[in-house]
Amino acid sequence: MTEVQLDLTVNGRRHRLSIPAHYSLLDVLRDELELTGTKTNCLEAECGVCTVVLDGKSVASCTVLAAQCQGRQVATVEGLAEGAALHPLQEAFIEFGAVQCGYCIPGMIMTAKAFLDENPRPTRESVREAIAGTLCRCTGYQKIVDAIMAAAQRLSQQGERA
Amino acid sequence: MNSPFRVIGKSFPRLDARGKVSGKAIYGTDFAMQGMLHGKLVHSTIASGEILSVEIEEALAMPGVYEVVTAADIPAQRYGSFVKDMEVFASKRVNFVGQPVAAVVARTAEEAEAAAKAVRVEYKEQAAVFTTEDAVKADAPLVHPGWQEYKAVPTVKRQGNITNQARLVLGDVDKALKKSDRVFTHRFVTNIVHPGYTEPRAAIAHWADGKQLHVWSNTQLPFEAQATLAEIFKITPSQVRVNVTVIGGGFGGKLRLGVEHYAAAAALKVGRPVKFVSSCEEEMTAALPRQPLVIDLTTGVTKEGKILAKAASILVDTGATSGSGVGVASSVMLMLAGPYKIPNLRLESRSVYTNKTPTGSFRAPAGPQGNFAVESQMDIIADALGIDPLEFRLRNIVREGDLAPNGQKLESVSLEECLLKAADAIGWKDRRPEPGRGKGIACAWWTTTSGSSGVYVKVGPDGQVFLNTGCAEIGTAALTGAAQVLAEALGVELGSIQIVSGDTASTPFDYGAQGSRTAFAVGNACIDAVGKLHQRMKEIAAKQLSAKPEEIEIENGVAKFGDKSLTLKEIAAIAQTSQGGLIAHGTFIAPPTLHDKERTENMVITAINSPSFHAHAVDLSVDAETGEVKIHDYVVVQDVGRAINPTYIEGQIEGGVVQGIGQALSEEIVYENGIVRNPGLTDYKMPTAMDAPNIRSFIVESPSKVGPYGAKGVGEPPVIHPPATIANAIASAVSARIQTLPITAEKIVRTLTEVSETGK
Ligand code: FES
Ligand code: FES
Repeated sequence: MTEVQLDLTVNGRRHRLSIPAHYSLLDVLRDELELTGTKTNCLEAECGVCTVVLDGKSVASCTVLAAQCQGRQVATVEGLAEGAALHPLQEAFIEFGAVQCGYCIPGMIMTAKAFLDENPRPTRESVREAIAGTLCRCTGYQKIVDAIMAAAQRLSQQGERA
Repeated sequence: MNSPFRVIGKSFPRLDARGKVSGKAIYGTDFAMQGMLHGKLVHSTIASGEILSVEIEEALAMPGVYEVVTAADIPAQRYGSFVKDMEVFASKRVNFVGQPVAAVVARTAEEAEAAAKAVRVEYKEQAAVFTTEDAVKADAPLVHPGWQEYKAVPTVKRQGNITNQARLVLGDVDKALKKSDRVFTHRFVTNIVHPGYTEPRAAIAHWADGKQLHVWSNTQLPFEAQATLAEIFKITPSQVRVNVTVIGGGFGGKLRLGVEHYAAAAALKVGRPVKFVSSCEEEMTAALPRQPLVIDLTTGVTKEGKILAKAASILVDTGATSGSGVGVASSVMLMLAGPYKIPNLRLESRSVYTNKTPTGSFRAPAGPQGNFAVESQMDIIADALGIDPLEFRLRNIVREGDLAPNGQKLESVSLEECLLKAADAIGWKDRRPEPGRGKGIACAWWTTTSGSSGVYVKVGPDGQVFLNTGCAEIGTAALTGAAQVLAEALGVELGSIQIVSGDTASTPFDYGAQGSRTAFAVGNACIDAVGKLHQRMKEIAAKQLSAKPEEIEIENGVAKFGDKSLTLKEIAAIAQTSQGGLIAHGTFIAPPTLHDKERTENMVITAINSPSFHAHAVDLSVDAETGEVKIHDYVVVQDVGRAINPTYIEGQIEGGVVQGIGQALSEEIVYENGIVRNPGLTDYKMPTAMDAPNIRSFIVESPSKVGPYGAKGVGEPPVIHPPATIANAIASAVSARIQTLPITAEKIVRTLTEVSETGK
């Protein structure tokens, strides 16, 4: 198996790894770095549970070749909270009852994070469009949309205060 | 609001939320052990035939491979819910494409997968049968030629490919049909759909000293997994310990063994822990999807719109094993009869083998199929009689004190209220607001599954309360609901409760997270435990306060005698130093639902326990050119008895409706000669956030006598009505009456073209 050297920053921590050349970013996160907050399911970019933020954009990490992430920045759900303080998206998901089994939630939250960073004042429709690549079988999406809308408002208020 | 409750009825956040939003919850796919190896399955490539040979040499020589495991490595043993027709690995013959024949164990999952492809299985192919209509023919090839040797529960009546023939009979149907002004007969056909949980089935098994099997998995039913694994490996249940990980959704698809048995067989052979995770393709080809049904339904009515009789013939396609399909064939008859008052019934159902994927118990196992038939036909009849469909239902629905089709007396019947509220909310008076737009309505009842529950409730010296239950949390937040019941009854805050769940070695037995029963049954066991805790508290407080136990009053968790008192925390601290702590074993078993056994023949499910009632209504448009359906508004009115946590009840409703919309409009596992044509999520279309409408939920509280604080089962009902509700609205919008699921855009266009060509 050919190995490649990978220099990758995950949640602000720099890693220098030697990995099989065919590994996906998801393989590196879950198997090499043992960050299992990012979930695994279809492995064909259809379900979205593996979504992480790569250089500011949400991607299905199961279909991103790790070797192509050389020198890049990855954000996963594990890096969102600051100490004991949850991110406003995480708080809103709890508060609005948007979490059931929770397996889609890391992917949903990271999708929402990248989306809100670019679109601080979304509409419900645009939120639905943004998360359409991530399947949730439990919630019917309604409370997830509620949570993202509420988080958007709080984040923009925080932004104004800062 | 003046609620008499402190904790019940309030939308507290679920107790396990933080771990889930921070990525720290450990699911089945995440769980790992030191020294663990990985397993992958080798699947049958033919639908029916004998196994001539299994060549493993090439696979064994591949990098990283430890062992190849086959039927020869484990006891020859068949298992199953009603008929013991399943085996871990096919031993002599295979009966569906995708059936596990062997497993490869390797250092990594990747190596195991590569080697699994190198295992060569030679077959002698035999004739297969793919539809129930073919399978019941006298000369049909047998899916299980050895069926007569299988053990089965005594209730079932089997013959060849038929695993049970059951009937529900009342009155004289032939006479009533003759007396009817109009008689309607229709065929309804439903689709095979996957539960669609986002976390695939996963397990790790480890044999300590070769005799004690320890399994960690995302099973919904740890105690059933324990019992089945014991049966398979010919050991006693206590030699098996099952621990449940966090579960990424179940919906009934994780009730039966998923991959635990493969992991256990592999671990036994290699002597190390082995992990199995289903691939997406395995989920779509060899998991436990919903049974597709063919329902021929005949109804006789008077011209005033009174139903006089119903007759039905039902074929349940269970796939290659009977599984819970035998149960579906029984419970669908309870769905087909009602929620209506019908004096004459003759319902006949057969569960039937075909050479396809074995099926399971997807959420409300017979609900959507039966409801689609009954509620579609109600609209067809109403239209033919010129009666408003809502009015037609109101003339026939069951009301307080009526008898259900099985003769059980119905209590706490809220169906009329549900229907009227749903109609009102959707704006029923204006049923066809514009061309291409229409509204639909459907109603149903559903059972709250019984079974026994035990809990240990333990209070720590710091006042923290442990709710220790054998029931798993599959995502619904039902255990948070049970904890709310406990907090209410014990007089503590919800925040002081911690849940410990799903360990067959240390948690008391529970019939498990299935059948809308978790909050209901575990909640009731908590109430029982609180009664016992209160007794202990009185005894301890009496000693401390120089009183008699019966003189002590307990109020909000505080024991009082005159002006002296002791808090729960103080009593727990005393109990810890003086008598091994404060703990109680609470239990619950639902009282049997009395019904008329004369009416049922060979039915394995005969009653609707603590029935809940509900109605759905939808407002949608259909694009006649493209067949595209656009849902404007979706309304659910559901009687939950008592709303323990309104937010999560809405969560069940919203999630269930969207899952039901998937079955109604887009989802289907498509077979061609027994081969799944859409084995991935690209072509198996579950609703996305763009497909899901906003849903308005209205909760009705008509308390049950049995449930905690009057609660009824909540989780399954929302998935029942969407196919019928949507079919009715489409028929009302564009006059396309579609009787086969899913109602794809294509089918709508085709039907509309046929209608315009025949000039109807
Ligand atoms: S696992 Fe990556 S999209 Fe499904
Ligand atoms: S919460 Fe279960 S899949 Fe979204």
